[in-house]
Amino acid sequence: MSTAPPQVAAAAPSVIETPEYRDVWVYLQRDGDSLSSDSRELIAAGRRVADKLKQQVVGVLLGSGLKGIAQEAVAYGADRVLLVDDPALADYFSLRIVDTLDYLVKKRKPYSFLFLSTEQGKDLAPRLAYREKTGLATDNIQLEVDDYFSPAAKATYKNLVIQIRPDFGTRVARIYTPRNRPQMSTVRPGNFEALPRDPDRKGIVENIALPVKGKTYSAVVKEIRELPKPGVNLKDAQVVISLGMGILRDKSGRVRDPREAYRLVLKLKAAIEQKEGLKVEVGASRALIYAELKELEGLISKDNQVGQTGTTVGAQVYIALGISGALQHRVGMQRCKRIVAVNLDPNAPIFQIAHYPIVEDVYDFLPEMIARIEGSKNEA
Amino acid sequence: MLIIALLKGVPARTTKVVTVGGVLRREEMDIVLNPHDSKAVEAADYVRRKVGGKTVALSMGPDIKLSPLIKPLYRAEVFGVDEAFILSDRKMAGADTLATSYAVSLGVRKVLERHVKPVEELISLISSGASADVVAARARELYGQNLLPNKVYSDLPSVKDSAIGMFAAGKASADQTTKLLEDTKSSFSQFIIVSGIKTTDGETGSVGPQVAESLSEMMGLDFPHLTYVEDFEIDPATLVVEAERKIGRLVQKVELHCPALLTISPEYAPRPPDPSNQVSVRGNNFRGKTLNPMKWTADELGADAARLGLAGSPTIVGPGVDIGKPPVQKIIGKSIVFTKRVEKFSSGGADFGPYDAGDLAQALPEAVFADLNAKGLLGVFTLQMFQRELFS
Repeated sequence: MSTAPPQVAAAAPSVIETPEYRDVWVYLQRDGDSLSSDSRELIAAGRRVADKLKQQVVGVLLGSGLKGIAQEAVAYGADRVLLVDDPALADYFSLRIVDTLDYLVKKRKPYSFLFLSTEQGKDLAPRLAYREKTGLATDNIQLEVDDYFSPAAKATYKNLVIQIRPDFGTRVARIYTPRNRPQMSTVRPGNFEALPRDPDRKGIVENIALPVKGKTYSAVVKEIRELPKPGVNLKDAQVVISLGMGILRDKSGRVRDPREAYRLVLKLKAAIEQKEGLKVEVGASRALIYAELKELEGLISKDNQVGQTGTTVGAQVYIALGISGALQHRVGMQRCKRIVAVNLDPNAPIFQIAHYPIVEDVYDFLPEMIARIEGSKNEA
Repeated sequence: MLIIALLKGVPARTTKVVTVGGVLRREEMDIVLNPHDSKAVEAADYVRRKVGGKTVALSMGPDIKLSPLIKPLYRAEVFGVDEAFILSDRKMAGADTLATSYAVSLGVRKVLERHVKPVEELISLISSGASADVVAARARELYGQNLLPNKVYSDLPSVKDSAIGMFAAGKASADQTTKLLEDTKSSFSQFIIVSGIKTTDGETGSVGPQVAESLSEMMGLDFPHLTYVEDFEIDPATLVVEAERKIGRLVQKVELHCPALLTISPEYAPRPPDPSNQVSVRGNNFRGKTLNPMKWTADELGADAARLGLAGSPTIVGPGVDIGKPPVQKIIGKSIVFTKRVEKFSSGGADFGPYDAGDLAQALPEAVFADLNAKGLLGVFTLQMFQRELFS
C-alpha cells in the first residue's frame, strides 16, 4: 500500500463565456457610390471569425445616400446590415459617428467589432473603444478564434478573438481582450481576401433612424473635397516590381541615376504585361520615397509605397529590387505568393522571406530578365 | 491660453528590445522622443506665438528616462516648451492605450487645476476684503511661480495694465478686478491639446482620440478631436481653430471651438508668425519657463488605481511569435530540383513523392538523391526554370 498523502481534488478551472454578447460587427466604408474594396476584405475577415464562433457578420453602414451599398455588403458576405442613412451623416464627422455607434453597441451588444486600419477606422475605433471601456487592438494582419487561459484570473475565456498584429523586431504579437466586450480591432487592408460577390445571397438590411437627432457639436465640418484616386493601384496588381535604395549604386559602387533603373522597370513591366498578360504596378520602399530624389520626382510618389505606412500588397509575384527589407516593408508584402529579392548584400533581411534570393546587381538582373521575357513566347 | 503637448518616449531601436511576457521594459532601454511628437511641439509653439499663453509638455513613463528627453525642448530656439510634467508611477506601468489615455487625461485636468486655483485664490482674497497690498503681494508670489499670466499680474515694464496692478494702484474696483479674474479663469478651460499622429513603437495612433474621449467624460462635454491635421489657424480673440486635415482621400476643413485636441501630421509646417497681436500675446504669456520637469504620481493625480497600468488595461499582449517559417528558397544556378514530374515511389521502406518539376530535391536521403540523379531526374535550378515558374 502506498502511503501517498490523500490527493486534494484540483478546483475545476472556471470557464468564462459571455453569451449575452453576440455577432461580429464590421464598420463599412464607402468609396463613391459603392462599398470600398477594403470593406469587402473586412467582411471576409469578419466572416472568418463569425463562422468559427457560429455567429453572424453584421455590417454597420453610416452615411447619407447609401442606396444599394448595404445590399452590396450582403453580396460580399454580410448576414445583416445596420444601415443609418441620414443627411446629418453626409460629411464625415467623427463625434457624430461615434455617438451613433455607441448607441448601437449599447443596444445590441456585439461580441466583436472590426474596423479597417484606415485613417477613418483609426479615427473612430479608439474613441468608441474608450467610451465602451473596452480594448482595441490595432493593425491586425490575422484573426483567429481560440480559448485563452488567464493565469492571473485562473480562468479560461472561451472563444476569444485572437488579434494578431506586427510586433517589435521580426515578430507578431497576439492581443487578447478577455474581460471586455466588444473585443475591438482594426484590420490592416491587404491581409484578407474578399469573398466572391454573390448577388443572390440573402441577408437582412435594417434601416435604423439616426438615434441622436439635431445634436450640435463644438466642431463643424466646413468644407470637404475628395482627392482623385491615385494612378497606382498596388492592391489589385498581380505583379509588383518594387525599387529600393539599392538602385542608387551598382556593384562597383558607382553612383547610378535611379531613372535608369526606373526605365528598366517600366520595360520589364511592359514585357510582363504583354507576354504574360498580368497586371503589373511599380512599388517602392519607404526609404526611397522619403529620400525625395530629384530624379524620381513625378515618377514615384507616396502612392507607390509598399509597407506598413504605405500599401499592403498581396500580389502573385513580388520583385524587390535593391530593397533591404526592414520589417516595416516586409509586413506590407510578405503575403505575396512568390517573392523575388535582388540585392547585392547577401545579408539583407529581405532574403529571409524571399522564395528566390538573387544576390546580384539590379542593373545586371533587369536587362537579362527583360530580354528573357521579351523573347520567351516568341521561341515557343 | 494653456497649450498642452502630449509627448512620449519611445525605444531608440525597434529590434532586440527587452520584453518580458509581452510588456516593454522601458526603464531598461535607450529611449528617444517619439519622432512624430516634434510636430506637436511645433504646433504648440505656433499657438503660443499667435495667442500667447503657456506651452506645457505632458508625458507618461519613468521620469528618470523622460526628463533628459524633455529638457532640451526648453532650449530649442525655434520652438520650445515652458513647463513639463511627467506622470511617473509604477502603478501606470504596462498600460495599454485605454489606461494610458485615462492617466494622461488626469494629467491634463491637473494642469488645468494648477492654473485655475491661483486665480480662484485671488478672487476669494479680494472678496474677503483683503487690502490691495496683500492681494498684490500674493499675486507677485504666484506670478513668480509662473502660475499667473501677465494680464493678471506682471513685473514686465511693458505691461502696465495687469488686473492686479490696476487694482493695487486704485485704478480698478474690486468688482472690476474680480470680473477680469473670472474671465481669465474661464479662458483656461478653453485650452488646446496637440499630439503626434502616432508613436513609432506602438504605432496605434489611438491615444489622441482616446484622451479627447476621456476628457469628454471627465469634463461632461463633447471634447472634439481632429486627427491628421496638416494645417491650422487659430483666432486669438475667439479661440476658434480652423484646421485642414486629410483622412483617406477626403480633405476636410473643420472649425473647432477650444477646448479641442489635434493630432499633427508629419506634413504640418507652422505658418509665419503674425506680429499684429503682440500686446494681447504678451498679456496671455506667463513669466517664463519652469525649468525642471515636474513629476506627478498616481495619488497626486487622484487616479483610480484599478484603471491604471496593467490592471486597467483591457488588452493583454501574448508572447511574441516569429512571423512564419523561412520560405522554401530556390537559388538560381545552385538549388537542385526535379526536372520532371516523379510519381510516388518507395525506397528503403519509406515513401517519397510525388514531386513536380521544380520541387526542391535537397532534403532527400543521400541514396535516393543519387539514384534519382543517376536517372537524370534532377538538375540545377536555372534562370529559365525560374522564369517559367514565376508567372505560372
